[in-house]
Formats: sequence, C-alpha cells, structure tokens
Amino acid sequence: MSSGDVENLGTGRAGPLRAGWAALCLLLLAIPLVDRNDYHLDTLVNTGIFAILVLGLNVITGWCGLLNLGHSAFFAAGAYAYALLNARLGLPFWVCLPASTAAAALLGLAIGSCVFRLRGDYLALVTLGCGEIVRIALTNLDRVTGGPNGLIVAHPAVAVPWGRWEFGIRSVPYYYLTLAAVWLTVSISARLERSGFGRAWTAVKEDEVAASCTGINAASLKVLAFVIGAAMAGLAGWLFAGKQGFVSPESFDFVTSIMVVSMLVLGGLGSIGGALVGAAALTIVPELLRPVQEYRMFLFGAVLIVMMLFRPQGLLGGVRLAQEMRPETERVRQEEDETLAEDVRT
Amino acid sequence: MTPLEAFCQQVINGLAIGMIYALIALGYTMVYGVIQLINFAHGEVFMMGAFLGLTVFGAFAGGAWQGNSLVLAPMFIAGMAGCGALGVAMERVAYRPLRASPRLAVLITAIGASFILQNLMMFVWGPCDRSFPGFFSGAGLDLGVVRVTAMQGFIIASSVAMMVGLQVFVTRTMTGKALRAASEDMVAARLMGINVDRVISICFFIGSGLGGAGGILYGMYYNTITFHDGYLAGIKAFTAAVLGGIGSLPGAMVGGIVLGMGEGMAAGYLSSEWKNVFTFAVLLVLLLCWPSGVLRKARHE
Amino acid sequence: MLATLACAGAICGQQRSVKIGFVGPLTGDQASIGLDELQAVHLAVDEANRKGDVIPGCRLEVVALDDQHTPAQAVAMAKRLAADRAVIAVIGHVNSSCTLAAAPVYQRARLVQISPSSTNPEISRKGFDTFFRTCATDDIQGPQAAEFAIRKLGARKVCVIDDKTTYGKEIADRFEVRAKELGASVLLHESIVQGEKDFSPLLTRIKALGPDLIFFGGMYPEGALLVRQAKGLGLKAKWLGPDGLYVPAFIDLAKDAAEGVCCTFVGADVSGVDSAREFLNAYTKKYGTIGPFAPHAYDAARIVIDAVRRAGKVDRKAVLEEVRRTNDFPGVLGRMGFDGNGDTTLRLISVFEVRNGRFRYLGPARQ
Repeated sequence: MSSGDVENLGTGRAGPLRAGWAALCLLLLAIPLVDRNDYHLDTLVNTGIFAILVLGLNVITGWCGLLNLGHSAFFAAGAYAYALLNARLGLPFWVCLPASTAAAALLGLAIGSCVFRLRGDYLALVTLGCGEIVRIALTNLDRVTGGPNGLIVAHPAVAVPWGRWEFGIRSVPYYYLTLAAVWLTVSISARLERSGFGRAWTAVKEDEVAASCTGINAASLKVLAFVIGAAMAGLAGWLFAGKQGFVSPESFDFVTSIMVVSMLVLGGLGSIGGALVGAAALTIVPELLRPVQEYRMFLFGAVLIVMMLFRPQGLLGGVRLAQEMRPETERVRQEEDETLAEDVRT
Repeated sequence: MTPLEAFCQQVINGLAIGMIYALIALGYTMVYGVIQLINFAHGEVFMMGAFLGLTVFGAFAGGAWQGNSLVLAPMFIAGMAGCGALGVAMERVAYRPLRASPRLAVLITAIGASFILQNLMMFVWGPCDRSFPGFFSGAGLDLGVVRVTAMQGFIIASSVAMMVGLQVFVTRTMTGKALRAASEDMVAARLMGINVDRVISICFFIGSGLGGAGGILYGMYYNTITFHDGYLAGIKAFTAAVLGGIGSLPGAMVGGIVLGMGEGMAAGYLSSEWKNVFTFAVLLVLLLCWPSGVLRKARHE
Repeated sequence: MLATLACAGAICGQQRSVKIGFVGPLTGDQASIGLDELQAVHLAVDEANRKGDVIPGCRLEVVALDDQHTPAQAVAMAKRLAADRAVIAVIGHVNSSCTLAAAPVYQRARLVQISPSSTNPEISRKGFDTFFRTCATDDIQGPQAAEFAIRKLGARKVCVIDDKTTYGKEIADRFEVRAKELGASVLLHESIVQGEKDFSPLLTRIKALGPDLIFFGGMYPEGALLVRQAKGLGLKAKWLGPDGLYVPAFIDLAKDAAEGVCCTFVGADVSGVDSAREFLNAYTKKYGTIGPFAPHAYDAARIVIDAVRRAGKVDRKAVLEEVRRTNDFPGVLGRMGFDGNGDTTLRLISVFEVRNGRFRYLGPARQ
C-alpha cells in the first residue's frame, strides 16, 4: 500500500487490493501446515520481527522524512525491558508487552525531543550516536544488564487445561504469534497512513514551513513519529527476546540499524507493503546465499547504493517519491541549502 | 610518577592521536564545505590507506629495503594516491548522480558505500588483525618521567607539514582559491567560470589522500589494523570536524587535537570503558547545541 | 567380517557422507577466531578421511555455518543443522553467548554439541546433556593464574584489566578474588573495549600506581597492544594473561614487547607432545599462523570422529552416547574426558613465558 492507494480505497478499486491482502494472509496462515521445517519457519519468524522493525522505521523515516540510524536502540529497549522484568522480577512474557512498548516509546520520546530541531544529516548522526550510546551502556552496566553475557529469559508459556505449555524452541508457536504481531502493526500503520497524522507527516516532510502555516505543530509531529516508530520496535524487541530466550548487546548494534534502513529503502520509503517486501527480501535472500555467505554484508551496502542510484522509490514506493528523490532540477537541493544556512546563522 | 607528570604524558599521547584525527577530519570538512555531504565512507577510506600502505610494505619487505625507513616514501605515496583515487571514484559513481537529490538520499548512499568498502577490506585482507610494521624501534626522548617516542614526534611533525601544505595550497594556488570559492557559494563560483565538477573531484582527492596518510600513521602508531577500525575513527574525526566548525580547515585541525586530548583525558581520569560514550556524547552535544562548531562559525570563513 | 562391512556399507549407502557441523563467527569482528577453529576442524576431518577408517565407505564432511557472533543467528543455524539428518555432531559455537542460545536446539534434537572455546561456567550448569566442551572454564583458569602470580612470581601489588567479554571478564574477576584471598592488593580493576586501539591513558594511570604485576583477561589483539604501549611508556611490570594470549600471533603483533609476558593455558605443554607437534606443524603449513583455540577445536573434532568410529553407525544418539563415554582420550591438549556436566576433565593449567620470541613452558600454574 503506497500513498497512491489511499486514493484508490475511495474509488472502489480497493476490491482487488483487499482480496490480495486476504489471500496473502491465508497463505501465511497455511505455511506451517505444509512446511514443517523448523529452519524455514525460524527464518520467517525473523522476517516477521524485522518487518515490524521496518514498519516502525517507516513511520519515522518513510513518512516523516527523518533518517533514523539508531533504530536498534528502540529494539533493544523493548527486548531488555522484558529481559529485566523477567530475569530480575520473574514477570511472565505476556504481562511484559506493555512494558516493552512503553520503554521503547519513552526512549523514542527522549530521542525525538532532542532531535526534532535538527535537519537531515545532523539528525541522522545524532540518532546514530544515541544508538551507540545505548549499546555501550548495555555492555558496560553489567550489574544491571548482565553486560556482554546478557540475560537469560523465559520463553512464552500459556496456561492450558493440563497445566502450562511453554513455547520452548519450536518455531510454530512463534510463527503464529509473530504473524499476529505483524498483522497488528500493519493495521495500525494503515490506519495511521489514512488518518490526519499520516497527512500531517507528509506535509511536514514536504515543506515544514508551509505545514506550520496551516496550524500543524511540526515539532510535536516529529516527536510523535519517533514515539510510534519506537513503540513498534519495542514490540519487535519483546517478541525477539521471548523467542530467543536470551538477550545480549551484540544483537542491537549499528549493523542491525543499517539492515533495517536497507530493508526500508529496498521496499520503498513510506510504503507499508514495501516494508514487508523489504524485510522478506533481505532476510530470506541472505539465507539463500549461505553458500557465498562472505558476500552477505555486501548485499546490504549494495542495496542502499543501487536503490538510491537507480530506483530511489524502492520496489513499491510511489512515483511521487521517485520524483522527490531524483528531482530534475537543483531546486530541491537549493532550498535545503538555504534552510541550512538559516539554521547556522540563527 | 607525579600527577603532573602523568598529566603531561596524557597530553602528549592525546596530541599524537589528535593529529591523526585532524588529518581525517580535514577530509570530512573539505567535502562538507563544498557539497554539504557527510561523507560517511571517509572513515573506511582512512582505513584503506592503512591497508594499502601495508600491502606496499609487503611488496618491499624482505628485499634491500628491509628495516629501512625509506620504505615509508612509497608507502605514503601509494596510500595517499590510492585513497585519493578511491575518493574521486566514489564521488563520480555514487555521489555525483545525486547532486540534485535531497540530502537524505546521498547520506543513504554514503552509508551503503561505507558498508561495501568495509566488507571489501575484510574480504581482501582478511578478518584478523593485521600486523603493521613499526618504525623508529621505540626510540624516544625522555623528558624526566614523561616520554615522547620518536613515533609520536614523527606523527606530529608530518601532520603539521601536511596541514601547512594544505593551507598554502588553499590560500596561494588558483585551484585552492577555486576550492574556497566553491565552498563559499557554489552558484557564484559556477557563474565565475569555475569548473565545479573538477573542483569537487580535487576536493575529494585531497581529502581522501589526507585520510589515507592518516591511516598509515595510524598503522605505524598502533601496529595493528583491522577492517572495522575505520567506522569508529571516522565518527571521532567527524566529531572533531564539527567541533572546530564544519567547513573550516583550521577548525578541523584544532578540533582533532582537542578531541584527541579530551578523549585521552576522559579515558585516563574518568574511565576507559566509557571512552567512546564520551566521544558520542560530545558529538550529540555539539550537533544539538553548537552545530556550527564551538570554535568557529562555518559560513563566515 | 564381510557381513559387518556389508551392513556398514548398507547404512552408509543411503548417505555417502557423514556430516559434522561447525558453527561460529565467520564474518564480523570475531571472524578470526571462528575461522581458526574451522580450519582446525577441517584438518582433523581431512586426516580422518585420508585414513578412511571411520566408517568404511563413508566420507566425513564439514558443514560450516556462520553465526556472526549473534545469538539469533546462532539459533537459526542450530535449527538448520538440527533439521539435516546427515549431521551427527556439531562443533560449536565459539562464543559463550551463541553457545548458550543454541544449546536448547541441540538438546531437543539430541545432537551432540562440543564447544572449543565457550568458557562461561554457566553453560554446563543448565542441564543440557548434549553439551560438552574441550576448554576449561574461567572459574579454573582465573584462580590458578592468581596462585601462580602470587606464590611463584611473588607479586604483592597487582592491577587487573579485562576486555568486558564473557571470557575476559570472568577470568579477570576470578583472578582478582583469588589474588585478594592470597593476600595481594589489587590496586585497580578496569575494563577496556575489544577493538579499541589506544590504551595509553589507562596505562599511564597504571604506571603512576606502580604495580608488580598486571593481569589482563582478554585476547591477543588487545593484549599485544597493551604490552606494546606499556613498553613505550616505560611501564615496568610483569604481564600475565590467559590462554587468549597463548598464540604466535601475540608475539607477532607485540614484537619485542612480548618478552617476559606470561600466560596460562589449558592443558599440558603442547609442543612437548609429539602428536601435538605434528598438529602444530600441519596447521601452520596449511593455514599459517595458529590461533588460541585451534587445538581445542582439533581435539573436539577428533573426539567426535573417534565417537563415530566407536559407534559404528551414522546415528545421533549413538554418537552422543560415545562422546559422553569419552575417557582418557589422547588429545593434543592432553589426555581428556568429560565429566557429568560435559566439562572437560582436563583441569591442568600450564604457564608459559615468552623468551627470545617464543613461548617457553614454565610449569603448572598450581603451586
């Protein structure tokens, strides 16, 4: 669903699109019944977790235009919130979901409040710095976070008539749980896109000054984008921790942040369907490339460059995005330069 | 060792690494001054310099050059020229097509380039730490309890020489003046007949070349290099460039030295493990509060 | 005899190759250790294939997977190996965090897992009966190193540095505790970060404290930098480290600053044992510089191969049983077996010192 589809929904061409989504959902539900290979399902679970991360980044970077290079900090917040509550206080998995999302959202609020005044590249660098600080803090504060050893956490468990059934390391229960979480995130994203927020974000991204003139509070919108994007990442973190049974700082480094950015760029900045496609492509393809696994990291870097040079709107992004990213005239850049010069002078 | 002597030693150590940061920072600041791009891949270019120097050394090793400091000359030439060429190539392939695009797009491309370069280095030279040859065999000057090694002296001297050279180039030569004109006002420069494309290429060439030189000095100082060292060094150098005023050459030099010493003080007096957090915190504070630099205002150069 | 051969042939007939899995970091910053161990495993497997006596008609094959030092990947790779029925044993993982994350997968698949380098003591206390390791845990090396430092070297004032990793920190902490018990005073205990290059601020601070001995819990890249920069600063204290330093690469990187540095090692003097010397020569000839855990990986692979030979069939449960029964196995590290938790019975810690650019055996650590 790119921005173009918002119009489509009103004109009745939404029918085939809705049918397409429904078919996809059915297909995804049926997979574990057909393919019982744990490794395949595990890969799909990882895809789902990354999809939620990308959807969160999409709010911040895709819709609001703020390049966030520290997304793994929000991911970590969600995962460690559960880990600390479970390892130190013994709280069960399901209870910790609000805590994970809230912790990540709070971090999003903190970082968003710091950066909303900044432009483009400086904002990106600050988010990078924040991401790194979070990771180093997680490693150094070992008395609290377990340091590089990390923390061992309990897998999710459900109460059943004959007692308690733990998910353990079977892939199937996580698959359905992740599927539900992805569906939830997609629904929320779709609703946001269609709502006043979605339009306001687009307005702020296009021309902040003009948007302010219409009464939009650009600052709070940017912070809101961070909060929502972070909350989604927190959800992904909660899932990740429960599935792995273990959290450690090395899962939340700069490389992870870049992977999420790559997936978003590949799928198309601003596109919900693109987020799913990007996550799927860059999780599954590296697995297929196992025989040449040394080249795997090349893939992420290459995606970024190739996409920006040849198809900046990504696989599913709209034509408008393509025009924004590769304009014919220097006008866009000149305007950016002027606003930058103003910032420096004030 | 008295506290004062310890302090002096920290200052000297910080000065040496600060010079290396300054050389890398110059690359960032030059590019930013001209096309307002944070060349994310510059840190990797710096590291590439070290690896190129190592390869050249390997080519000469075992022959008549064994143990001879003269091998430094081809090392530096190869490193600087190689990195310069790499910088120019990157600009042509990845950045030039996006001249008109919003900055977001170019930054993303730069990150992609950084990733590719880093993995290229890992691929070609292996993932292990590589031993970089040392020179001057630990000779040094003992001033009381404080010790300045010949290596540190060489770093400081050669860095200063390169910076002076750059300053002369920028102020005295036509090309240098064209460079400064382009960073002041690109549109006006173009109107004055300056070949902007060429100026940008030269800018990348020099900036990357200096980064490459920094890489070789880095290798000589620490004697081990790894493919992923560039990332952190790059961020620190960028912090230094912002500290001194992004776009300002003297600012980058001063910023590098200040950051090097500050980092050393933080590690020496506060805590080693939080050293990098110190640098990131400085970067954050700078970008949030003094984006044009504490020491100078960028645009009024 | 013919019948046995026919049977063996029939069992193997369905699958020509018997697979031994290896999982470790093959890319990323821990890749050098991962590759190192993988190469040692290849060496063992190639030797066995040349002799051809493991299971007649069967070839051993190594399936190497990259866990990128990430627990999530470790689990994914473990599941992949578990799903492949031809894999009858896994050598892995390299890092304790990954081993811990993957252990439940192997447990469930009844697939034997031998780690050459995961030294975190907690792993073997979690009740995984498929987990074994050929390296001594940190709660053994650390205290014995302290005993050596204080009883043998007579150190009274020590400084401790660790690299914040599971391995380094654990050893350094245990060292500190034991050193204090033995009456030494620990003047400073600081952490450095792996991948960091510049330790002169920390070393300047240590120089001002004037210790007799500095213990570094960590690996050779940082160790080499530390001793080199210490020498540059004129810091005159004895250096002691764990088996992460016991590699030629340490001497290569540290050059003359390595003289006099001592390190502990799990096992007897490897160069003194003939079979070990053969291994060292073969490894260096084929792959170049040897890493700290290559001998452990080599032994782990040979234990697996031996277990397969004893089991006589390509069956995970049988191989698991035979590995568990390993007793008095002649490894390059020494004669070893596994205790009830899967830990190696080889608790002998030796100390080596660098003299004239080579490691010289000094004696056992425990006095």
